[in-house]
Amino acid sequence: MFSPSLCTQRHNFVVDFVQQHKPKKVIDLGCADCRLLRRLRFLRDVEFLVGVDIKSSSIKKKMHSLAPFPGEYLQPGNKPLTIELYEGSVIEEEPRTKGFDLATCIELIEHLQLAEVGRFSEVLFGYMQPTAVIVSTPNADFNCLLPGRPKLRNPDHKFEWTQVEFHSWASGICGAYGYAVEFTGVGKVTNGPESSGFCSQIGVFKRESSRSNVPPGDEVTEDVPVYSVLYRMEYPSLQNNNIFQRTLVNEVLYWAEHLRTQWAASQRGIGPEQTQDSQGLGAAAEGEQPFLHEGFLCIPLSSFMSCPRVRELSGSMVHLRDLLLGDPRVRLIANSVALDMGEEDPGVQSEEQADAWGSGRHGNVAVEEGIKEDWGAQVCKP
Amino acid sequence: MTGRARARSRGRARGPEGATPGAPPPQQVPPQEPQRPGGELVGRGRQRVAPGALGTETFSQISAGFQQVKIGERGGRRRDFHDTGINTRQAMEHVRESKTGVSGSPIELRANFFRLVSRPQWVLYQYHVDFNPPMESRRLRSALLFQHEEALGSARTFDGAALFLPRRLQTETILFSETKHGEKVKITVTLTNELPPTSPVCLQFYNIIFRRILRILNMQQIGRHYYNPQDPLNIPQHRLTIWPGFTTTILQYESSIMLSMDVSHKVLRSETVLSFMASLRQQSGPQRFAEVCTRELVGLGVLTKYNNKMYRIDDIAWDQTPTNTFKRGDTDISFKDYYRMQYGLEVSDDNQVLLVSNVKRLGPSGQPPPGPALLVPEFCYMTGLTDKMRNDYNIMKDLASHTRLTPEQRESRLTRFIGNIHRSADAQKELGNWGLNFDNKLLELRSRVLPAERIMQGSRTYEYNPWAADWSKEMRGLSLINSRPLENWMLFYASRNYEQAQALLQTLGRVSGPLGIRVQRAVMIEYEDRQDSLLRALQQNVGPGTQMVVCILTTNRKDKYDCVKKYLCVECPTPSQCVLARTLSRPQALMTIATKIALQINCKMGGELWSVEIPLKQLMVVGIDCYHDISAGKRSIGALVASLNPGMSRWFSKCVLQSRGQEIMDSLKGALEGALVAWRRYNDGLPARIMVYRDGVGDGMLQSVADYEVAQILECLRAVGTDYKPRLTVVVVKKRVSTRFFARIDGKLANPPPGTVVDIEVTRPEWYDFFIVSQAVRMGSVAPTHYNVVYDSSGLKPDHMQRLTYKLCHMYYNWQGIIRVPAPCQYAHKLAFLVGQSLHREPSSNLDDLLFYL
Repeated sequence: MFSPSLCTQRHNFVVDFVQQHKPKKVIDLGCADCRLLRRLRFLRDVEFLVGVDIKSSSIKKKMHSLAPFPGEYLQPGNKPLTIELYEGSVIEEEPRTKGFDLATCIELIEHLQLAEVGRFSEVLFGYMQPTAVIVSTPNADFNCLLPGRPKLRNPDHKFEWTQVEFHSWASGICGAYGYAVEFTGVGKVTNGPESSGFCSQIGVFKRESSRSNVPPGDEVTEDVPVYSVLYRMEYPSLQNNNIFQRTLVNEVLYWAEHLRTQWAASQRGIGPEQTQDSQGLGAAAEGEQPFLHEGFLCIPLSSFMSCPRVRELSGSMVHLRDLLLGDPRVRLIANSVALDMGEEDPGVQSEEQADAWGSGRHGNVAVEEGIKEDWGAQVCKP
Repeated sequence: MTGRARARSRGRARGPEGATPGAPPPQQVPPQEPQRPGGELVGRGRQRVAPGALGTETFSQISAGFQQVKIGERGGRRRDFHDTGINTRQAMEHVRESKTGVSGSPIELRANFFRLVSRPQWVLYQYHVDFNPPMESRRLRSALLFQHEEALGSARTFDGAALFLPRRLQTETILFSETKHGEKVKITVTLTNELPPTSPVCLQFYNIIFRRILRILNMQQIGRHYYNPQDPLNIPQHRLTIWPGFTTTILQYESSIMLSMDVSHKVLRSETVLSFMASLRQQSGPQRFAEVCTRELVGLGVLTKYNNKMYRIDDIAWDQTPTNTFKRGDTDISFKDYYRMQYGLEVSDDNQVLLVSNVKRLGPSGQPPPGPALLVPEFCYMTGLTDKMRNDYNIMKDLASHTRLTPEQRESRLTRFIGNIHRSADAQKELGNWGLNFDNKLLELRSRVLPAERIMQGSRTYEYNPWAADWSKEMRGLSLINSRPLENWMLFYASRNYEQAQALLQTLGRVSGPLGIRVQRAVMIEYEDRQDSLLRALQQNVGPGTQMVVCILTTNRKDKYDCVKKYLCVECPTPSQCVLARTLSRPQALMTIATKIALQINCKMGGELWSVEIPLKQLMVVGIDCYHDISAGKRSIGALVASLNPGMSRWFSKCVLQSRGQEIMDSLKGALEGALVAWRRYNDGLPARIMVYRDGVGDGMLQSVADYEVAQILECLRAVGTDYKPRLTVVVVKKRVSTRFFARIDGKLANPPPGTVVDIEVTRPEWYDFFIVSQAVRMGSVAPTHYNVVYDSSGLKPDHMQRLTYKLCHMYYNWQGIIRVPAPCQYAHKLAFLVGQSLHREPSSNLDDLLFYL
């Protein structure tokens, strides 16, 4: 009926919201098979992404697809991202769900018993207190436009609200917990009456900064986790020291190799008489020139500043030096990266041992006039 | 072996699959029953066999049945890389009971296999699921069925029609579900089959379960295998990243189900195609950029930033950029907007050209593939090595130091990994659910080492050191079986290589005496170091009487080599030998090198070096290999090499270029006929036995060899004459196998000695197959070669089959030692490689009787 599908449109709505407001910590309540999370993980302004569902089996089905792609390891991003998935009920208070910038409840509340909705609101708006909340739920006013005019769209739905019901719940929330709400939705038909509204109605709640509730951290009660962690994945990022160091060193060594080939080419170009005299190369455009020192080719650190990636990672030459100083993969001599001169290709005949020719004739014996076998005569079944 | 020969030809890439922008994502389709010719298969009949009491025959039935019941992890169609269900052994009466040999001395080995210690006690039940009213969408059918988790349980697999459960329901279960729109659906689940734990469907299950385990251990799937991204090895100088990983297969092997596991490495590059293209442009300049770019990139696998799929670059769309649009649903959207909307990825360079990858996977409900996918270079990471890198000694050395593992290292990696599985609570739980468990140590087996062969050279015979598998020392000073005098020959050299040319000439004179080769003075011809003048020099000097052309090349640039070979193999058929000037520049190695050159020249002119005893009369051995030339319009090249004399020292060689879509054997039939004609010329009558060694058969292609190619060969032989009925044997040779053997020597794990034969435990019950370790390696673990006899009317004992195969590994004249495959296969490989890399045309038939391509 809708293209793209209603579900995709709801997710698009969240993605647009995240792209616009750039929340750092996002929690998806009722994440089911993590479909929304799989889209949100591409938005790298999000640094902490959490999914909660009461059914662990639906989370487990596809949770491993939240693992980073190979590219993320090959070129780690600047920002960190951690994804956690919990099994738990949204009407229980879980300390790890506090302090989020955005909580999404996409098609969630209609799966709760009507009696539980009050408790859910209390936990979400009173306890978790996210900066923003996106709630979407079926619009009962729209059901008459759907094929078959269903009363409830899904057998598991416990209720479906009309626009008025939804609005009254939402304004109750705003009054009780200090939030402001804006109503919108996705899925509209051109030929339907204006009053039927969107197929999925959406409320976007924003916490009013003026009316701050009990500031987080002042809680008296001891926080005991009640959810169980099903999945945790830390994406590789440059915020991780090991990864940063590895990335920087790899970049430095790559650039060093690049400079070395350049240097070698220029050496060949000026002929063999002058190879020892690297000063003779004339004034360099940027940085100092590589020079030979005790069998090493020394590449001054200053010349690494011409590599944009190294410059970006290290910031300055002094900092670069500090970073490389203790690293076993890089040899520093004074203010230069020292490279082994590398092995020349010994040629295709490398397997040959160059031993003296003609020594030791052994193992030679005359032809034995012995028994000759004939396998053809011994076949199993002729 | 020269560097050229060692370079590997890239096989046909396994089809990149799946959804791509520019191509609508294919819907999951229920697996279709593959069409099989013959139709002798057992269908989906009931298999009520007590677990564990399976005869070979029952197994073969089940195995064959598996061809029809195939389930995938996500229900999709998949290629069978293990060639299951092809039962070739049954047709060969003489090996039905036993296919083991007897010769040789016993040896204790370990293999990279883990036994299944607890075979699941459950039986897998297969049900047919019927929906009333019928439901079209497979997804909807799954959703409706799985509303009944309490009745079905959580362990289940459903492909849209067939449901597999580890528990037994009533013979007929009726369930009621409701769709979103409130429609009531009656679901009837009928028990159709009970599958014992050894049935192929169960085996498929074990593999799926094991893949889940790998994912639980945070391994990343790339292509078919799983790798560990947490602990990469880096070669930063070349922006290479190597991920260690494993290949795993659970299959029914000769006597039990086992997990076969090997260490694998994935070479990735921390560089996008865009940045690679930029540096290419810088190096090559704008004029040659397109050409260089195509050469370097086409055929390469790439990984995209936004999903976990591998694509192979088939072409470059020079007229497309990220601002171009494609159809998505009903609307046009530009690539740039698509990636921004869908993945939050920004295209930084609007002028980059797009990459084309042909999606092989079929579209929804069996429609033809949705057309090529276009990829944005900026979002593609390179994988694997380019040919340029492969030829770079330093890169390959660095790589080898990381990836070549000694037997000890390999064993410890494997057992450590199986230990991790045993220690991981999640993994154990998953395995426990299905009642699976694996042994924690490698399979031990007792096998045999074939006796070393005696090498015969003229009137002398000698033995070689069996561990070194090399007789270059032993053959010194011995004259060859048949040497060709060098009387009318030429030596071409560039002016700056005058000294090397003189040195070569002198040394050749010195070394050829003891070998029994008479050498006259060569005609020395100097050429200007340019391709056109080299060609002109050849054209002006080489005539019909010229026996041999030796050419000293200044650099290993391919174009000059190609030019020499093209002229002398196609236009003016003359044996030729190219030598790099650098090879001749080290005086201390000159004797060794000159000897090699003397031997090689002699072979190319029809000389014979050595032989081994072949106790079969009137035997013609044939080797077939092919080469897939990716650059030249994806043409494949098939080569056939056939022995001409009882000593296996003279060979007939023929090479054919096949057009696209044509079977390799169609074009090689003519070559086989030619070989028979040549055989008749060298012998009285026709061969009574023909033994074909077929190399270059990819995973999953066994069926077509066993069915189609064998029939083609038989037809070709029938065409010779009605009364001509030679005994035929067809053996499929496979070099790239994940099986490894380790021998315990002096308390340490080491490579097994050359001649080790394994025909038990790790072979397959439905095949007449065996492994031979024929070569010795200095670094890393030796790879055994797998031989699968798919057709055999020779009646030859398995022992003799194995020994003959091993003997043939001694007969490759470009290496004074034992090689990995029978000599005719290696000759065929060399020939196909030369044609595919340099000639791109069929060589002149004047050269058919010569090993001109060595």
